[in-house]
Parts: sequence; C-alpha cells; structure tokens
Amino acid sequence: MSDAQSLSGPLAALRVLELADEKGQFCGKLFGDLGADVVKIEPPGGEPSRRIGPFLDDIPHPERSLSFWYYNTSKRGITLNLETADGRRLFLRLAETADVILETFRPGFLASLGLDYEALRKQSSELIMCALTPFGQTGPWRDYLSSDLLHMAAGGEMASSGYDEADVPNAPPIAPGGGNAWHTACHFAYMAIVAALVYRTVAGQGQYIDAAIHEACALTTEAAIANYVYRGEVVRRQTGRHHAAGPTPRTQFRAKDGTYVCALVAGRLTPKYIGELADLLDTNGMAGDLRDPKYQDPAVIAANTSHIIDDLVANFIASLPAEEVYHAAQQRGFTWGAVRAPEALLNDPHLNDRGFWKEVAHPELGRSFVYPGEAAIYNGSPWRISRRAPLIGEHNVEIFCTELGLSRNELSVLAENRVI
Amino acid sequence: MSRPRALEKIRVVDFSWVRAGPWATRWLGAFGAEVIKIEWPENERGRLPSTTTPQNLEVNLNTSGNFNDTNVNKKSLSLNVRSAKGLEIAKRLIAVSDIVIENFSSRVLHRWGLGYQELCKIKPDIVYVSMSGYGHTGRNHHYTSFGPVAQAASGLTYLSGLPDKPPAGWGWSYMDDTGGMYGAMCALTGLYHRNMTGQGQHIDLSQMVASVPLNGPGLLDFTVNGRGSRRPGYPPGNRAHWPGTPLVNNYRGPTVVPHNAYRTHPGEYNDWCVIVCHSDEEWQRLVQVMGAPSWATSPKFTTVAGRLQHQQELDEQIEAWSMTLGKYELTERCQAAGVRALPVQSAEDRVERDPQLRHREMYLEMEHPALGRRKVQNAPFKLSKTPASNHLPSPLIGQHTREIVEGLLGYSREDLRAGFADGTFWPVKRARFPYMEEMLR
Repeated sequence: MSDAQSLSGPLAALRVLELADEKGQFCGKLFGDLGADVVKIEPPGGEPSRRIGPFLDDIPHPERSLSFWYYNTSKRGITLNLETADGRRLFLRLAETADVILETFRPGFLASLGLDYEALRKQSSELIMCALTPFGQTGPWRDYLSSDLLHMAAGGEMASSGYDEADVPNAPPIAPGGGNAWHTACHFAYMAIVAALVYRTVAGQGQYIDAAIHEACALTTEAAIANYVYRGEVVRRQTGRHHAAGPTPRTQFRAKDGTYVCALVAGRLTPKYIGELADLLDTNGMAGDLRDPKYQDPAVIAANTSHIIDDLVANFIASLPAEEVYHAAQQRGFTWGAVRAPEALLNDPHLNDRGFWKEVAHPELGRSFVYPGEAAIYNGSPWRISRRAPLIGEHNVEIFCTELGLSRNELSVLAENRVI
Repeated sequence: MSRPRALEKIRVVDFSWVRAGPWATRWLGAFGAEVIKIEWPENERGRLPSTTTPQNLEVNLNTSGNFNDTNVNKKSLSLNVRSAKGLEIAKRLIAVSDIVIENFSSRVLHRWGLGYQELCKIKPDIVYVSMSGYGHTGRNHHYTSFGPVAQAASGLTYLSGLPDKPPAGWGWSYMDDTGGMYGAMCALTGLYHRNMTGQGQHIDLSQMVASVPLNGPGLLDFTVNGRGSRRPGYPPGNRAHWPGTPLVNNYRGPTVVPHNAYRTHPGEYNDWCVIVCHSDEEWQRLVQVMGAPSWATSPKFTTVAGRLQHQQELDEQIEAWSMTLGKYELTERCQAAGVRALPVQSAEDRVERDPQLRHREMYLEMEHPALGRRKVQNAPFKLSKTPASNHLPSPLIGQHTREIVEGLLGYSREDLRAGFADGTFWPVKRARFPYMEEMLR
C-alpha cells in the first residue's frame, strides 16, 4: 500500500447528514470526496434528482441517472420520511451523531416539523447546520421558486455572457450550462461550513449558517459590480470574451479544424511581445510583417493592433488545428488555450500525469466507469472517491440497525409504513 | 460587543496577485484571519492596469475599484522578496503564520527558496496552498493561465452558446472567481485538518484542472454512454433542448419547455427575463398568468412532448406577451402564481433594484482612503456565531509595512528606515506615497 492510499482525507471522521436535492448535492460530494462520512437522507423511493438525465444506456431509472451518480459519490444513502413521527424520531437520533447537517428545503419546512436548528442544538451544541436555499431564510424573494437558469439570470451571469452583434444579431444573453449556479452556491456553502468547523476546533461550539444561492451567483461576475460601483458603467456582452463597457479586440479565433482558440493578445502588445509573436507565427511561416523594425515603436503597434490581431494572429490560428496552436503557444510562454469540448480532456496527458481520472466501481452492474477527479491535490491527506453514489436505501441496514441498534424486524415495519 | 471570528488568530501570508488568489484570501480575511498581502510595486498585477478607477481620480496603485472590492479585509506589506534581506523578512513572517498562499506559475516560490520543503523548515505545520494555472505536477505544469484560458482548455467555454455559432463562453473570468473559491476552500480544509491532526501540507490547486469537475454529468455521458458534446443542438442556448435536434439531456437539469430567456418591456439591452416550467402544472399556471389566451390553451402545448415539438412557436408567443411587461413586474406576477421566473439583472440592477439583495444587505458601504465611501460586496452566507464581514477596506500599497515589520516582527524604526533606504520596502528611485513618509518619522 502506498503512502497516498494509507492516508486519510482531510475531513476524515467528520459526519455530515445531507438533506439536499439538486441544489446542494454537489456540496455533499465536496465533503465526501475529502474523506467525510456523508450520509445522504432521501425520501422513501429516492430523491427526485435521480430523475434527471442522462441515464446509463439511455434507460431512465432512478439508479441509472449519470447526473445523480456524479454528484453523489463518496456518500452513504438511507431513506427516511421526515413527515412521519417515527421518521422524525430517527432523524433526531441521527442528528446526535452528526457534526454537520446540510439541508436545502424551502425555508420553514424543517421548523414546521420541529427539526430546525433551535431544536437540534439542544441535543448537540457542537452541531453545525447549513441551510442552502435559493434566496436565504429572509427577504421578499424568500419563497420564490428558482432553477439553475433563473439564478444565472438574476445573479448577473447572463447579463455578462453572449455575442457581439456582428456575430449573432439580436442574440439573447446566454446562460452557460452545466449547473453552475448550483456549483457556485455549493462552493460558498462548503467554505462557510468548513470555516465554522475550524471555529469549532477552537471554541467547541457549533452554529447555524443561512446560505443563499442568489447571493452566491450575484458575487460571481468578477468586475461587473466594480465597473458599476466605481464608474457607473454597465458592461456589454461580447463573443467568447470578457464583458466590457466598450468594445474590446476579440480573443477567440477559428482554427483549421473548425474549433476555436482563446488567444489573449490585446493589452500585451509591447515590442518584446511582437518579437515573440513573430517567432510563434513563423513556426508556420506566417509572421507577415511582424519583423518590420517599425514595430519597435509602441505607437506603431497601437495603430496596427487590428492588423496584428485580426489579420496575423487570426490567419495563423486558421492555418493549424486548435490543439497544435495551444501547445505551440504555451510552450513559448503565451497564455493561450484551445476551446475544447469536455470529452477532449480524457486524452489530455497532463491530466493523466496528475492521476486525474478515477475508475469507480459499480459492483451491482459488474462494471467500472471513469469519473473526473480532484480540483486540487492534497499532498498530506488525499482526495478520493470512496464509493459510487448510493443505491436507494443502500445503507438502511448498516445505519439503522448496525449503528442505531434497530432490529431487522423494526426496520421492516418502518419500511411497510413508509417511514424509510 | 464584538462577535467572535471563525479564523481568530490565524495569520495568512498572501503572495497572491491579479484576481484568483486575492479573491481566495478576501474570504479568509472576512472570516477574521489576519491576511498579510506581500506586494512589490515594480511587478504588481491587480492594482494596475485599472479599468475601474473612478473617472474623477488619477489611475494609480491605490485607485482601482476592482482591487478594492477584491482585497478588503487585508493588510499590505511592500517587500522585495527577490532581495536576500526581503526574503529573510518573509521567512520571519512565515515562521509566525499558519497559511501561505500564492498563485504564481508552478516554480516561482521554489526558485525563491520558499518551496514546501523550505517552508516546513521555517514552520513545520504550515498549510501551503499553491494556486497555479496547471498545478505543480504534470507535464504542462509550466503552462500559464488566466480565467478565459482555463475555461477554454477545460471545456467550460464550450458549454455556453447557441448551436452552430462560435462558443459564447463566459463573459468574465469565471475561473478566477471559482479558482479563488477553491483557494479559500483548500486553505480552510487544510487548516481544519491541521487543527485536528497537527499536520500541515502542500495543497496543489490548478485553475485549469479545477474547471474540469464542473462538467461532471457531461463527462459521464461520454465515459459511460460514449456520447460526446460535439453534436447537433449543443450547446442549446438557454433552452434545455434545441428544436429540430435529437432529444437528449443537455446537462442543465430536466428537459422541459418553456426554458428560455424572453424579451421584456421596454426592450432595452438588459430587458429580459427567464421563465422555466418544470411540469405541466407549472405550465398551466403560466397560461393563467398570461390571461389564458387562446393560443396557449391549444392542446398541442398541454404536454411536455407537445411543447418540445412546438417549442419555437411557443417561445415566440411567450415573448409577444413578455414584451408587454417590465421584467420585475413580470417576475412578481409569475412568482405570485407559482411560476418560475426571474429577471436578467445587470450589475446596476443588482445594486440598485434587486429587493432581495437589498434586504440581505449584499452591498454595504465602506470608507476607503482614496476611493471614498463605496459599496462593497458582502458574503452570501450568514453564520450565526461568527459572521463573515468586511471590516477593513483594501489596503493602500505598503500601508501596513511599519505595523508588520516593527509591531509583529520586532524590527526597530531604524531597521525600517534602512529598509526603505536600501530598497527592501520600496524601490529606491520610486516616489513614496505620503503615508510612507509618515511611517518613517
């Protein structure tokens, strides 16, 4: 066994109860993959996010949702109906064993069941509880409905993303896909919970965290707020590059293979840079007039910015496949990147060098699948996917019987009465 | 009575610059850590160039608005770490700190003699978070990135846009924001682990690699089902599915209609709202909000299958209605009826018009010595015992040099003056700000 295999994750011995739907399940994964014992509590029959596709072999089934698989690694799973008295009683016993409870119910729901933080802290003063909800526990929008797309609209992501008029006339603001409103909220929620955990290591006290997805998204548009607060500017959308108060030179160019390259050139055009750019473009014999001594004069460079970017750089990129441009440029110190489809990353040797892709066993299928790995390598306490997403109620016996001491017959009665 | 702080007595040595690293340490500061930002004006990146200096102020090292918002809750030590004397001072600072964080390319700290092995000799349980573009291992570790490049190379850019058009991408450095989040998450996780075990460690964060797990379901669709994302109808704009293309899940939740952005009155640049119906029942509520017009009650729109088949017509009809209402009025009407709708909000909308963000005190004013009273972005979570808060405006460059060098590290006033004279604390030939003259008296 290597050192890395024998080390525990940084959150080992931490128990997290997750009562989360599609909004918060990624936060539970962040904890689980870093070593916490995350127990996902689903309603009997399974969490509705199991109904989100795509599905294994395109056969819809709550155990075949790839979305659910991805966001629920390294968790154990139990079923429990909190809207029954027995369910609440069992939840209270589980809560006694928990360091952290993460919940995404609508505001007031747990309180209506007598399971809010005020009730739970009475049995465990060290408990940290985080409610991650669309708008938080207070305010005029508190009870509004939402979705990933809605958050990207109100949070400002859409107002910043889209197209130049010349590329797509009358284009709408565009919401990048992939569930990033949820991701952003889960990153912030994770941060708040771990800060509370650090405080608990010193003060021995838990606390309640009211986290809001809308605020997390509203915080995640880089300088858009500063542009307004300090200059009164409202930024415009531009194809494949930063929003800006006024038009800026383009940074996305079509390569020979029909895919694109992100090439950051404008703002960097010094005489020294021109020389390096000429060397790069000359690798394919396309430096044009860049070696003309006139470019030693910054004023000449400034007057020719459009020529350099829209002719020379664009033509160079158009002459080669995007991956070739990417690596040729980066090897020479240019901060450029190929615009890749996600699946192209499976063939990226750099990710393989870092051991990024993980084989995850699905023993019930007799198969293993490749999953994305870690954002960061924790050299002293490794990240790992400890198990695939739980099947519905997979750990009911382990947790209710082995840990809480219920008999198998009691468990059967609970199942018959739709408590689990 | 002042509230306790989650990171009370935690000290962070912050070598980071530009955006991602400073966005990470901003949050450590908000939790109460003492964040000491080490800067050098000759190769500063983050304060300059500035496109967010108010029109009535001179652009200089202390007048960037975006720098202010990104660097609240920190102190600034101006220090030439590339000099032997400066390096020695940095080491004395590290010896009394808990976290070292930086976002240089992969070999810089090592070259300075501050690689992890060396850091451990200075402070055995140090938590060291490196936030490089491509990580400290792997064949491309020397590649460099900014947000847009990490987003491009990781596949994030590609999932934004209309089908058959160039990628729209992200209109800002999402991975500077999110990379910064991961920097803070790594530092906090490393700190928790240290407090529990007594062990520090090096956490090797890569901006580009951190982008890849944000495509999980799409990647599994490829590794499990063999379905790639270069396909007709992808990316599907704001829709869950693009009309006339094969019906597949596009990794933005359930496949439903309507699911789009619609123009609103009076049709200016940011007059849009989004509407999503997650069920037939929600669609029927929208029909009622629209006044049950005859087109909307047509049976062809009653089921999701029908709405998918006639999505283009449906979207045009919805937009004809949405154009008659302002985006906030439309939102209120829809939400009052249980329909998912929210306005597309610009920065101005969020700061001036969003009633929820106002209620939650998202933008509170702070006084900055050069920029005056300005709204600063607050935390998106409320901790009941140890609230995160903005308690210091961003530092002027070198503003806390005396406080740190004398007060924390125990050097004398003479040492401080000598360090200014020999170029350790400020370039000899560079004009000093008035507050520096003040600190040398």
